[in-house]
Amino acid sequence: MRTIATRLRPGKRGAATVGGARLREALVGYAFVLLPMAVFGVFFLYPIGYAIYISFFDWGIYGKIASVGTHNYHYLFHDHVFGLALKNTLFFTFTVVPIQMALGLAMAIVVNQKIRGRAFFRSAFYFPSLTSSAAITAIAIFILNADGLLNKIVGGHTPWFENESTALWSIVGLISWTTSGTMMLFYLAALQSIPTDVYEAAAIDNTGTWRTFWKITFPLLKPAHFFVAVVSVIGAMKVFDQAFIVSHGTGGPNNSTMTMVLYLYRTAIYDVHFGRAAAMGVLLLVIIMAFTLIQRIAFGRPEVQ
Amino acid sequence: MRTSLGVLLALAVAAAALAAGASAGHRVAKVTTVTLTGWASSPAETASLQDTIAAFEKAYPAIKVNYSPINGDYATSMIAKFAARTPPDVFYVDSSVFPDWAKQGALLPLDGYVKKTHFNTTAFYPKLLNAFRYQGHLYGFPKDWSSLGIEVNSAMMAKAGITSAPKTWADLNADATKLNNTNAVPGGKPVCLSADWARLGAFVFQNGGSFLNATKTAATWNTPQVAGAVNYYLSYIQRGLAATPAQLGVGWCGEALGKQKAAIIMEGPWVQPYMSSTFPDVGYKVYPMVSKGPTKGFGNWAFTVSYSIGRDSPHKNQAWTLLSYLTGPKGMKVWTSKGVAMSSRSDVKPLPSQQPFALAAPYSHPWQFAPGFHTVTDQAGNELQAVFDGKESVATMLQNIQSLATTALHGG
Repeated sequence: MRTIATRLRPGKRGAATVGGARLREALVGYAFVLLPMAVFGVFFLYPIGYAIYISFFDWGIYGKIASVGTHNYHYLFHDHVFGLALKNTLFFTFTVVPIQMALGLAMAIVVNQKIRGRAFFRSAFYFPSLTSSAAITAIAIFILNADGLLNKIVGGHTPWFENESTALWSIVGLISWTTSGTMMLFYLAALQSIPTDVYEAAAIDNTGTWRTFWKITFPLLKPAHFFVAVVSVIGAMKVFDQAFIVSHGTGGPNNSTMTMVLYLYRTAIYDVHFGRAAAMGVLLLVIIMAFTLIQRIAFGRPEVQ
Repeated sequence: MRTSLGVLLALAVAAAALAAGASAGHRVAKVTTVTLTGWASSPAETASLQDTIAAFEKAYPAIKVNYSPINGDYATSMIAKFAARTPPDVFYVDSSVFPDWAKQGALLPLDGYVKKTHFNTTAFYPKLLNAFRYQGHLYGFPKDWSSLGIEVNSAMMAKAGITSAPKTWADLNADATKLNNTNAVPGGKPVCLSADWARLGAFVFQNGGSFLNATKTAATWNTPQVAGAVNYYLSYIQRGLAATPAQLGVGWCGEALGKQKAAIIMEGPWVQPYMSSTFPDVGYKVYPMVSKGPTKGFGNWAFTVSYSIGRDSPHKNQAWTLLSYLTGPKGMKVWTSKGVAMSSRSDVKPLPSQQPFALAAPYSHPWQFAPGFHTVTDQAGNELQAVFDGKESVATMLQNIQSLATTALHGG
């Protein structure tokens, strides 16, 4: 990046020419981002803005019914099920994210070694992330059935997804497994960008493996931690498909698998309260943005490499 | 040379024939294609519907029916179609979603067509027809319906020395006790009861209770009648005479009957194809639903689905022709003749095997509440489960549901 910039920067010419070149450079840059920004605007910014607009209305199948001000938000603050959905989603996020990050990092370190069958392990660990979540969930339902494979192994009869106290944990386990492959990929890329000379220096100083990991690898992965944590939290807050499939769309048993997005979906489709559903979407957006900000503060400014 | 001449001649003849065919086609009235959408429960049901459609197309050559069922989440697909203003012409509407779709204006009022074509509505069972009335207007006609009956394991009943059907609450109680005392259901319980308002509700009606008042303006969940029915139902579980499907290790009570883990269950006609295909060796009998007393206290659920027309249907007149045929005496006869569904018209008689369920027609209440009630019925189900698990009292449950229902009635 720096080399290109240096080449483009004019030498000892007049100030006006410098400005002109800068402007042209900027215009070329903007031209390059114009198309992606247009797509971003049409498919992300506009719908977000429109959702905020809808959230202040009683909104039905055919659009606006009545303006209700902040009533939709008021309703949600007093809605027992929304409270449960929020609680479930936060619980899910706070359990899945650490597991995903730890698993992803561990797998990345394993497949970053020069071990036999490295390519196989890389593909094997990443494979669940590639498979359709619906298909994997359908298979998980069979495995976690009352007379499924897991119960045959542990010798129990727990219907994992139909039991109020185990349903959400089962989804936590399922998603941790399926998505940690993606986290592994992010960590692997970061691991490979750590310069080898720091490890050589550590080796000369006779530093142990464990110490090398905690004192060198882990701190140097800071930008990756930030990125993985943000991606993982956003993904976890938006959990829907697995909860939808295991509960047949009900969020049951007894709302134990009711997540925010599932409740949003049910409110929109079954109760035909699009305004209220939009308000939920806006709250979800605010929560995710708040989490991202907190993470950014916690991890500090990601260093420019 | 000769071959190419022959080919040329053949082509000319073919072209002439095509032209003749086309002009002949023009002389016949223009054919309109109407779309028909629903969900497909079983291949047998699809076959019966296709028979009915074939009979319709034969009777009305100017209308062609494009039947395209939706697999998967029906409500989601339909709401997207409504919002895009491209609904199918004729489609299924379940009684439970009907209030929402009618309130939103997605369905076409049919009163004008009924009047114009002198469509006879008196043959429909009034309670079923009323399920598709919203604010005084009709938005659909019931295509069929089902209710709950009593299904019993013949051998187990014989073992307990029971020779006749349980007719009243007292009979049911006596039979369950006998089955229990004679250990007629080894490894199971005499009765299978679901923690489900779609079953328990029948007892609420038998006990004189209801969930909403007649005008659907107030919730009547928290009343002594509802409490009495819940306590009666629950007492079977508490006294060890009944168990839930989960406690019996099955998915639903039909499976409990099939796996001989219960002698008495209360399910609808859907048990019959399930038993004959999955458990053909288990002997069972079907009886009408019990009532509170021998001459009064009748009540049941009516699970019904309508044929309705989309507000934005491009072929409303033809759609009405199809709808009135499908729900009329001729269509209804073809549709129900193979036993996949029960007639919603009193002039098309049920099959003998459907008789125990059809008897409930005069006192069955549609499985339907009010607009925006899905969340309420979900929560009502959760509360009932909590009561079954002993985590909550009946009084608290009824209070909670009553307040949720009241909020929903006031538009949330």
